[in-house]
Amino acid sequence: MKKKLLSALLCTAMTAALLAGCGGSEGGAEAPATEAPAAEDAAAEEPAAEPAAEAPAASDEEAEIYMFISSPEYADAINTLIEEYKNVAPNVTINYETTQNDYPTLLKAKLNSGEVPEIFSSTSGKEIDVYKEYSFDLSGQALESTMQPAVASMMASPEDGSGLYGIAIKGNYFGMIYNKAIFDECGITEFPTTFSDLEAACEKISAAGYKPFTTGFNEWWVFKHVGQHFVNAAAQNAGISTAELVAKFEKGEAKVSDYPELYDNFFNFIDLAVKYGDDKPLETALDGELSAFGTGKAAMICGQGAWVEADLLAIDPDLQIGFNGYPVTDNAAQCQVIGGSDQALRISKDSEVLQPTLDFVNWWYTSDYGKAWFTDVAGVVPPVVSDAESTFEVVKQGDALSAEKGAADLSICYSTDSWHQTFGEIMQSYISGSVDKDGACAQIEEQWAAIDGAN
Amino acid sequence: MRRETKRKVRKWMLVICLLVVACFYIYPVFLMVMNSFKPFGEIIGDVLAFPKSFDLSNYTYVVDKMKYLLLFRNNVIITVIGILGIVVFSSMAAFILERREGNYCKIAHTIIITPMLIPFQAIMITLLKSMNVLHLSGSKIGLGIQYWGFGIPMATFIIFNFMKTIPRELDESATIDGASTFRTFVSIIFPLLKSVIVTVIVLDVMWIWNDFLLPLLMVNSNNETKTLVLAAYTFVGQMNTKWNYALTAMVLAIVPSVIVFILLQKYIVEGVVAGAVKG
Amino acid sequence: MSRKAKRQLETVLFSLPAIILVCLMMYLPFVLSGYYSLTEWNGISKEARLIGLDNFKTIFVESGDFLSSIWFTTRYTVFFVIFSNIFALALAVALTKRFRAANFFRGIFFIPYIMSMTIVGFIWKFIFTSGFEKLYEITEWSLWNYSWLGDTKLVFYSVAFVGVWQSLGFYIVLYIAGLQAVPKDVLEAAVVDGATGRQKFFKVTLPLLGPSFTTCIFMSLTNGLKVFDIILALTKGGPGTATNSVTLQIYKEAFTNNNYGLGSAQSIVYFLFVLIITQLVLKGFSRKEVDL
Repeated sequence: MKKKLLSALLCTAMTAALLAGCGGSEGGAEAPATEAPAAEDAAAEEPAAEPAAEAPAASDEEAEIYMFISSPEYADAINTLIEEYKNVAPNVTINYETTQNDYPTLLKAKLNSGEVPEIFSSTSGKEIDVYKEYSFDLSGQALESTMQPAVASMMASPEDGSGLYGIAIKGNYFGMIYNKAIFDECGITEFPTTFSDLEAACEKISAAGYKPFTTGFNEWWVFKHVGQHFVNAAAQNAGISTAELVAKFEKGEAKVSDYPELYDNFFNFIDLAVKYGDDKPLETALDGELSAFGTGKAAMICGQGAWVEADLLAIDPDLQIGFNGYPVTDNAAQCQVIGGSDQALRISKDSEVLQPTLDFVNWWYTSDYGKAWFTDVAGVVPPVVSDAESTFEVVKQGDALSAEKGAADLSICYSTDSWHQTFGEIMQSYISGSVDKDGACAQIEEQWAAIDGAN
Repeated sequence: MRRETKRKVRKWMLVICLLVVACFYIYPVFLMVMNSFKPFGEIIGDVLAFPKSFDLSNYTYVVDKMKYLLLFRNNVIITVIGILGIVVFSSMAAFILERREGNYCKIAHTIIITPMLIPFQAIMITLLKSMNVLHLSGSKIGLGIQYWGFGIPMATFIIFNFMKTIPRELDESATIDGASTFRTFVSIIFPLLKSVIVTVIVLDVMWIWNDFLLPLLMVNSNNETKTLVLAAYTFVGQMNTKWNYALTAMVLAIVPSVIVFILLQKYIVEGVVAGAVKG
Repeated sequence: MSRKAKRQLETVLFSLPAIILVCLMMYLPFVLSGYYSLTEWNGISKEARLIGLDNFKTIFVESGDFLSSIWFTTRYTVFFVIFSNIFALALAVALTKRFRAANFFRGIFFIPYIMSMTIVGFIWKFIFTSGFEKLYEITEWSLWNYSWLGDTKLVFYSVAFVGVWQSLGFYIVLYIAGLQAVPKDVLEAAVVDGATGRQKFFKVTLPLLGPSFTTCIFMSLTNGLKVFDIILALTKGGPGTATNSVTLQIYKEAFTNNNYGLGSAQSIVYFLFVLIITQLVLKGFSRKEVDL
């Protein structure tokens, strides 16, 4: 009796062990990424592990590159790019993994378990420093010569302003997208570039039976995209750089009420957008915004940029898209669009396959195919210097406007998304009426310093 | 005669009531399926509107892109391994802990069911670390085995409570007849547990098949090991989501599990009838 | 070997695999992350700085957000436990009546449980906005014109309602299994004794469902206290912080604010809180169960 019982249990235990063993070996065969910790140990034992400089670009060398990045919207395009790279370096395998949900959390889990991806993402600017100890400095690489200077400046370490700790998958434009047809119908020939003009325009549009705004205040990141225009103006009028202004807030030295561009204009703009915006402002998310603007119910879409154009045209291919800066003050010159790159791809500096990884990103940024990929395959604002003409209205008008009156700083990059998310919550509380303006400002001052000041 | 008609009327009333409730209940699901036939612009333009034309292009695109058959096979492997371990280990533990008395049983029971209270997010980072050490990450079989640990608490809890309804005389008389504990468990108790085991299988199949976070953490890095739901999420971005493909992929991912559910439901009913006759 | 020792050995052997597996997958990572609760760590850098019990001090000294999220979670849990159990039991009773489409109906009620949260969020946001707008145009009841996700008071009901909607199928399945297990002979005996349908249900079926109640109430209690996904999908804790549940609050602290140490400390405190509550409830229930 007892024997039977024991043998049965042993059987289960052994099956389990066997399965576990299989699991391990299968893991090795199928997902090379899991071998990274073991491989690292091996490397540690042999200090003679090849330094990057000694191994010249040998594209016939076998290598597996693990690429774990966000932005799944470019999955198709990146797969095409990887396919193409197979022709260049047939022995290099790139394991590409992408997700948007929980990306930062997963990345942290991977970094901590020793599975550092060769290529990973973060936001640019402030977050460059957060991941700096994992990140390779790309200064002096071939790709530096083709990268747009505006993009490159976002990839430097904000701490000392040096280095090149990432590449961009795309450039971007941020500003106000509006419906030209509705503006024409209401007799508004010029986009309002001052705050008082904007108020007048809203009245006209509203009288004509359209919603002047759709706001998307359900999304936390809409607030950072809107807010950065006002932060730039505040810094400019105070005679300091935006970076300096942000630093003051982080140190807890600045008061919102000292800057009328923020205390008055930004909050007035939010009030105006709520007044003339969606019926349920805190309920409308990105999709609701696209719906309202794409179907021609709303004349302006808040907090968006170049990335929504394709989606809008999918709703209505004949939509007449206009693009401009935000009317932040009564100085029309300060109504500027914002350009730059808010996302960065980082290269792991301790990687076993650092050289093949560098070869890949250099090829991406400098080869003819790679440079053309941004416009032809991915359809984004190229982060590299190129003559390719974009087909997107937002990009064309953005290019023209920044040539004419300059583009403002991508000031969201001076802060982390940790802060931006809290900022979004504070502004939502303000809109819902659970805190008043001064209460919101006090929270902004306190939280900004608490979250970003510490990092 | 009159009683018969009265009963029939009541039955129909019930079905009609259920139908109305079910229609409201299912409406969001219906929206998901309906929108999967629309192009992106139509979905965002008006989620509630019917498709302008019947169009399968989302489906052909998604089936091709997500390598449906390969991922389907992965899902099956992970789910089957997970379910086997959960059922075997939980029913054994639940049986013995409910029947025997003493401090060991009380403590063991608490140890097994308490993890239900641990929020998954609280252990994500260290879980990947531990699973790397155990060589369970990055493979389908490893993921299946991990589900044993995650599924056992709930399964044990459910089966343990169900065990209370099985009269003790049954296994006591078997023991008197000279059957070993293991034999009693396999040939007397396990068959009586059939309906609750099927319930556990149903709940766990649905959970493992459609789980997102654990596979994302463990097997997402390779196309050979991905699951259907993970593939569906590649269409979801922060500022651009291809809803037409995301909805289609999600429908394709959950349909097999719904079919399994409806098929297994039958066994819950049959299982009990058979058990009751024996009992 | 004595008989008693043999029985003891059997008990251990039967339960050991489950215990080992649970320890490896759940307790080990939990204890490991417990270590981080004693550190100041952002979740990224290679070194975590040991700071002793400072994180726990922080929780009890500056606990505004944490406390308000506990209050939200408690309200949510009460609402969730009551409504999901009542509706699930009612539907389970209806669905165990013998009629042809019963299996099909059960399938229908279960589907929301397996829908991905991203899709649930997407669809419901549209129902709350454009769906309700249409209903308002048709009926003109101001009910449809409220901002169900945008108002800090109403949003609680919307989230709780969708929460019940989403997980009802799970409890229906458990109650169905319980109802099927009620012995037919006891019911028949009751009919022979002249019990009406209603008496049969309240006097016989309901008391015999004891174990199912324990299971369902315990499960809904833990799931209510752990609520996370549905809130992330619908409101992300907003507007403002109106729907921050404890788990979401911990998640934000650990991963958004890069305070993994503090987040770990919060999750340990909360784990103990949940442990105490569920043990009390469980004790209360198992005492009331009727033995066959």
